[in-house]
Amino acid sequence: MLAVEYFEVECPDAQGAEYYRQITNDVLLDHNLLRVIHKVHIYIDPSVPIFVAVGILKPITSRVRVGDFANVNPLEGRITLVLSDETYLAPMLKIFWEKYGKDHVEQPDRFTVILYDIRADIKEIEEIVVADPSESLSKDLIYAFRLIAPEGFRLRSEIFSREKFSFVASENLLAENVDELVRAKFALMGETP
Amino acid sequence: MLVPVTYKGGIYQHDIITDLIEDLGGYIVQKHMIAQEVVLQCFVPKEDIELIRTISKPLFGEVTDSPLVGTEIAVVSMSLEIHHLPHPSCDIAEYVRRIGAKSNMVSLARGPGKRISGLNDEERDVINEHDLAVFLMGNFEKCIEYKIPKLRRGIYVPIVLCGGPDKEVLQRITDPPFEGYVGNVGRFMRRTKEAEELGKLDEIIAEIIRVLEKKREEIAKDPLSVSPARLMGLIREQVPAILEVTSPTPLTVQMAGLRVKLPYDTFAAEIRKIEIEDGITLGDVSEVLPSRMRDYILVKILPFSETNTVV
Repeated sequence: MLAVEYFEVECPDAQGAEYYRQITNDVLLDHNLLRVIHKVHIYIDPSVPIFVAVGILKPITSRVRVGDFANVNPLEGRITLVLSDETYLAPMLKIFWEKYGKDHVEQPDRFTVILYDIRADIKEIEEIVVADPSESLSKDLIYAFRLIAPEGFRLRSEIFSREKFSFVASENLLAENVDELVRAKFALMGETP
Repeated sequence: MLVPVTYKGGIYQHDIITDLIEDLGGYIVQKHMIAQEVVLQCFVPKEDIELIRTISKPLFGEVTDSPLVGTEIAVVSMSLEIHHLPHPSCDIAEYVRRIGAKSNMVSLARGPGKRISGLNDEERDVINEHDLAVFLMGNFEKCIEYKIPKLRRGIYVPIVLCGGPDKEVLQRITDPPFEGYVGNVGRFMRRTKEAEELGKLDEIIAEIIRVLEKKREEIAKDPLSVSPARLMGLIREQVPAILEVTSPTPLTVQMAGLRVKLPYDTFAAEIRKIEIEDGITLGDVSEVLPSRMRDYILVKILPFSETNTVV
């Protein structure tokens, strides 16, 4: 967990805490989420039972543009795009179809897209925003924390924003003082919810 | 005395080996053909292992001990969710399979959690149809202590308990004690590929072997009326429908019985009538019961004390 500034797992069962530290690390690493988390504190008490995860996210500004993953080459009235990564191919094609019409867009293979007879600047095409990874970020984080939390803890309360998140789960009804608990865990990291 | 071994060799002329094993009075329990390789899991007379080695030498065959051949093991995981699968449940099931056991994964419908965890009658009966159950629990001592009395209720096959806490802790929190314990194998979300993790898998195998050896000794005190492997051969000869079954092991040999993967209603009577020797039928020396696993048939071989015959 090199990229995360603060990472603690708190649990009365010391061995359990160590296992959950490992699970958290594996899951966040697998889902490529370590790069977006700045601080995270996890608290588990199996005797209640309750699972709390609170954290601070790193600001992400990186919107994916066509220029990030494709080479745009104009040649004899047509523009050839050579893709280095096909992850964003589908949303890109959708945008092109809408913008230029299907007649002007051709895709001979997985890594090539050709635009015919269009009046557009190379710069303009390179600047087209194809995807915004932060849109699905909360969804990904919630999924990851559902994996980390013990499976039986199905009653959850989650608050996810662009900067902070809190995730509380239990198998019993969540007690009224959950907000206090979340605040206390944020305080341990030197933050407020 | 028949001992369980695995033969691994090329496909070319492997029928020499299969014939040899049958001529020596051994039984082939499972036969896998994987590309150019044949893997035979079989019971062979102990004194003839060297003979098989000598004859298979020109064919580059290899004979290794596999103490779990002829056993069916239930790997009980708390759920089918990604929390428990594929690691560690599948890792353990696969490891057990490598040394000859037939392993089945049993995932509980309401296994996870502490207060909410439970076992239903179907799950209980399916687990009881195996020779041994490996229970894979979570990481917290408190949860295991709370839920294990509910999960073990009604299960009378030996259980090997695996969980996150140390072995001593598991022993302390379970009463009455289980047959086997392996500590420090709880829930984890990574593949077991490092030496330490593989060592843990070996520990589980060692514990399973130890518990099953004990069970074998128990059975030996009151021997079975007929060997399960022999019944397997007879069913294969006399009920041709079994050859049409596409399941990887149409006949699964257990320590004291056999699972026949044919519908009970259609074939039970036919199987009971199979003659073993001198007019003694399969129905005389065993119980033919409907299995809780699909509509299969479960043959439970009766001990000598009940039938007064050994064939």
